[in-house]
Amino acid sequence: MAFQLVRLSSSTLRRLSKNANQAPLRWRSTSANPLIRDVNVPPTCVTALNSGLRVATEDTGAPTATVGLWIDAGSRYESEQTNGVAHFLEHMAFKGTSKRSQTDLELEVENMGAHLNAYTSREQTVFYAKCLKQDVPKAVEILSDIITNSTLGANEIERERSVILREMQEVETNLQEVTFDYLHATAYQGTPLGRTILGPTENIKSISRDDLQDYIKTHYKAPRVVLAGAGGVDHNELVKLAETHFQKLDNQDGPVPEIKPCRFTGSEVRLRDDAIPLAHVALAVEGCGWTDADNIPLMVANTLLGAWDRSQGGGANNASQLAALTAEDEAAHSFQSFNTCYKDTGLWGIYFVSDPMKIENMVYNIQNVWKLMCTSLTERDVIRARNLFKTNMLLQLDGTTPVCEDIGRQMLCYNRRIPINELEQRIDSVTAKDIMNVCMKYIYDKCPAVAAVGPVEQLPDYSNIRSGQYWIRL
Amino acid sequence: MASRVVGFQKVGTRFLAKQAKRLSWNSRHFATQTDPPKVPIDRSELGCKQPPLSEPLPGIPTPNYAKVKEDNSQTRYTVLPNGLRIASETRFGQFCTVGVVIDSGSRYEVAYPSGVSHFLEKLAFNSTSIYSDRNRIMAELENHGGIFDCQSSRDTFVYAISADSRGLDAVTNILAEVVLRPQISASEIDVTRQAIQFELETLGMRPEQETLLMDMIHAAAYRDNTLGLPKLCPEANVQKIDQKLLFSYLKNHYTPSRMVIAGVGVDHDRLVESVQKYFVDEKAIWESNRDLVLPGSSKVDESFAQWTGGLVQEECEIPQFAGPSGLPELAHVVLGLESCSHQEPDFIAVCVLNMMMGGGGSFSAGGPGKGMYTRLYTNVLNRYHWMYNATAYNHAYMDSGLFCIHASAPPTHVRELVEVITREMVAMAGSVGSSELRRAKTQLQSMLLMNLESRPVVFEDLARQVLSTGERKSTKYFIEAIENISADDIQRVAQRLLRSSPAVAARGDVAKIPQLRDVQTGLMDPQGRIPGGRHRMSLR
Repeated sequence: MAFQLVRLSSSTLRRLSKNANQAPLRWRSTSANPLIRDVNVPPTCVTALNSGLRVATEDTGAPTATVGLWIDAGSRYESEQTNGVAHFLEHMAFKGTSKRSQTDLELEVENMGAHLNAYTSREQTVFYAKCLKQDVPKAVEILSDIITNSTLGANEIERERSVILREMQEVETNLQEVTFDYLHATAYQGTPLGRTILGPTENIKSISRDDLQDYIKTHYKAPRVVLAGAGGVDHNELVKLAETHFQKLDNQDGPVPEIKPCRFTGSEVRLRDDAIPLAHVALAVEGCGWTDADNIPLMVANTLLGAWDRSQGGGANNASQLAALTAEDEAAHSFQSFNTCYKDTGLWGIYFVSDPMKIENMVYNIQNVWKLMCTSLTERDVIRARNLFKTNMLLQLDGTTPVCEDIGRQMLCYNRRIPINELEQRIDSVTAKDIMNVCMKYIYDKCPAVAAVGPVEQLPDYSNIRSGQYWIRL
Repeated sequence: MASRVVGFQKVGTRFLAKQAKRLSWNSRHFATQTDPPKVPIDRSELGCKQPPLSEPLPGIPTPNYAKVKEDNSQTRYTVLPNGLRIASETRFGQFCTVGVVIDSGSRYEVAYPSGVSHFLEKLAFNSTSIYSDRNRIMAELENHGGIFDCQSSRDTFVYAISADSRGLDAVTNILAEVVLRPQISASEIDVTRQAIQFELETLGMRPEQETLLMDMIHAAAYRDNTLGLPKLCPEANVQKIDQKLLFSYLKNHYTPSRMVIAGVGVDHDRLVESVQKYFVDEKAIWESNRDLVLPGSSKVDESFAQWTGGLVQEECEIPQFAGPSGLPELAHVVLGLESCSHQEPDFIAVCVLNMMMGGGGSFSAGGPGKGMYTRLYTNVLNRYHWMYNATAYNHAYMDSGLFCIHASAPPTHVRELVEVITREMVAMAGSVGSSELRRAKTQLQSMLLMNLESRPVVFEDLARQVLSTGERKSTKYFIEAIENISADDIQRVAQRLLRSSPAVAARGDVAKIPQLRDVQTGLMDPQGRIPGGRHRMSLR
C-alpha cells in the first residue's frame, strides 16, 4: 500500500525497479445499493495452508505475472554478532542449489525471459520472480528451490564477501543512504533497528556457513512466509503449487522468535566532512508502527510536506508550504518527507540536501512548518493532501510487480490486504483537526533524532533544535 | 525562558521579517499572541480513534469486486475534418491515461535556435488562457486524482494525464489548454531559463554521461541535420529564446494534422466529443492573437534524416562518483551505425539483435534476468576487467535509425575499448547460435508484454503508432513477428548496419581514441582489426 510512498525502509530498495505505474482501481461508488460498493479491481484471495504458509493473489488475467515470497525476517532479528546475515543470504540465493548450479539457474531464468530479484529490509526479506503467465509454475518451483535448497557453498560464500564489501562501498557513495543509516543508528541506538542491513565489515568478513544455516532454520518458517502473486495467476493453482513445493518449510522446528521492542532515543549524530560539497541532513520524530490507525493521518501530514527539488522551480506552485518557503529562500537543493514504519515504531521526518551555509535556515523552516501543522491547518490544505495521497497511492499500483509487492507487504504487516474502499474511507475521514491532533501527539515538543553528513558546521546545536520543537510567546 | 527568547531572536532575526508575512502563525506577533498552544497533559488520547489497520473498519459497504474478463481492450479511431486524429482503447479499471502526441521535437529546429523544444518541454503545464498558473491546473487535476507529464524526444512531444476516468472532460480541457493556449509569460520563461541552466550545470557535474552522449552520438551520425540537432538547449541560446520565437514554432508545428489524441481506459465517443469542444471549437492562442508570432514563413522542415557519420569528441574532465566508490575515472565512447526506421520490415530483426547484444554495467544490481548471457556480458564485460560498462541501444525514428554501443573504461584503455567494441560489431554478422537467438527472442517478447502491463506505456504505444501509421498493430502481431526472426535475418541486418560509415562520440580523457578512418577500416575487416596501435589483438 501507500506507506512506501516515500520510503519503505532505508538501504533496501535498491534492487527494485522504479517504474511508477497504475492499477485499475475505482474509488467512488456508483452502485445503487449503499451497502455494496463497486470496486473495479479483482479481489485479493487469501488461503492459509496447514503449515501456516499464506498464499495471497490478485488475478487480473494479464499475459505476465509476478510471484514472490515475502518473509517476516530481516536485519532486526540479528544480534550484534550476526548483523548482516539476512542480507548475506539474499546474496547467496542465486548462487546455486542442490538441484541447480548457479549457471543452470541463471540460464533457466534468462531463457524464460523472466526476472529474479531479491531484497532485504530491516524487517522483511523478499524473493520474487516476474515471468510470462505460462511460466508461473516454473517460477514458483525456482523460488522454493532457492530458499530451501541453497547450497551455501564455501567458495561462493568467500566470493560473495568481496561482492558485499564492494556493495558497501557503493552504499557509502550514496549520501542519502548513509544519512538514513546514521539516522537509524542514533534514533534506535542500542537496539537491533539501529544497525545497518549490510552489517559491519568485520561481520561480513567472518559470517560462516553455520550462521547462514542457523538463520534459515530460525526464521524461514512456514507461518512467517507469504507466497504472493499478481497478474496472470490462478489462486487455486498457486495454492496447489505452494502445497507441493514448500513442504520443507514445515519441518523447521523451534518456536518463532519474538521481537523485542526497539526504543527510540531523541539524539543526534554528525559526520562533518567539509570535502563533501553539500550537507545531507535528516530530522525525524518517532512515528508509529505499521498497524497503528494513526498512520493514516501521519501519511496525510507527510503529503502536506511533500517533496521538492530545485528543478521544480518556483515553489509558489507547490501544494507544500515548505516547498514554497524553501524555493523562496533557496534554503535547500532538495527535500523529501518520509514515514518509515516498523512493527512497533517508526521514523517520521524530513531529509534535505542544502548548501553548507543554508542549513540553519532550512532547519528553521522545517520546524516552523511542523509547528504550524500542530496548531493551524485549514481543511482546504488537508483535502488537497488527501487527494494527492490517494492519487500517489493508487497510480503507483500499476503493473503486476507493484501490485504483488503491495499484497506481500500488507500480508506481513496487517495479515490481510486492506480493501481499497476501506483505505479510501480511512483517508477521506481525516480532518484538519485529526492531523493537528496526531502532530500534537507525535511532533510537538518531542525530542527529534537528527543525522547530518557533510559540511554541517552550521547545523544548530541539539538543544537549539530541541527547543525549536515548541513555541514560546510572551 | 528569557534566554530561550533571546536565542530564538538570534536565530530568527534574519528571517522573521520576511516570514512573518508568509507564515500565518507568525503573523500573530509576539505581543498579540497571548497563549501558547495548549498541550494536553496526556497526549496519547489525541490519536486516531479508528481500529488498527490490521482490523477491518466497521460499517463500510461491502466491496463488489470486478471479475477477470478476457482481454476486452478494443481500439477505435476517428479522424476529424481538420485532420486531427483520435484513438482510444478500453481497459479494465477506473483510471485512464489521455494525452496528445505531436510530430514535433528538436529534429525540426533547423530554422530556429536550438533549444526551442527543451524550453517547450519545461514550459508545459504552466499558465493558459483559463488557468492563471500551474497551481490551478494541479488543483483541478487533484479533484480527479490526476497527475500530468510532458516529455519530448527528437521527433515527438507527449503531453499526458493519468486520472480517474470520470474526469475525462476536464482532463481533455486541460490538455487542450496547455497544448493550444499556453500563456508563456515573461516570468515563466525566466523560471524556465533558470531551470534549464540548472539542468545543464547538473549534467556537467554528474558522473552519469548518458544524456550528453546521446546528443553527441546523434550529432555525429546526422551532422547538422534533423536528428543530429541537439535536444539539450546550448548554453548560448538560453537567453536568446523568447516568447515570440516559441509561439512561432508552436503555430507551425502544433497543427491538427501533426497531432494525435489518444486515450486508454476511456469511452471513445465521450473522448471525441470533448476533443471537438476543446481542440476544435476553441481556437489556438496564436490563431486568435496574431501578434504573438513573428511574421514570416510557416514552413516545417520536412527533410529526411541524412546519415553522415563522423566523430564528435569532447576532451573534458568527467566527475567521479562521490566517495570511495572504487570506480576509477572513466572515459566514455559510443560507436554508432545506421540501422533502420521503425516502419521498415528489418526493424524487428534489429530489435532482436539489440537484445542479443544486451549488456549493462559491470556492477549492475539485480538477479538473473537482467541479460547476463547477452554477448556484451559474455564476450566483453566478463572478459575485460577494465571495461566498466558496455550497453547496446537502438534508436528508431520515422525515416532512419541509430544502433549504438556505449562503453566506458579508464582513459588508459580507450584504444582497447574501441578495438573490442569494433570486433563485437563485426561479429554480429557472423554466426548466430540457436540458443542465444531463442533467448533474445523470448526476452524481447517478455519485455514487450511486461512493459505493456503499465497503462501509460499502452497509451504511448497507441499514440505513437497512430501518429506514424494511422493505426495500432496488435501486441500479437509483434509477438509473432519476433517469433519469425531467423539467424539469417540477424546476419542480414548486421551486414546492413556494418555497411554504414560509423559515427563515434567520445567524452572525457579520450586522447587515446583511434582515428575515425581506422575504426571504419576495422568495421570492414572480417576480424574487426583496427589498423595501427600495438597489435595487441595479434596475441589472441
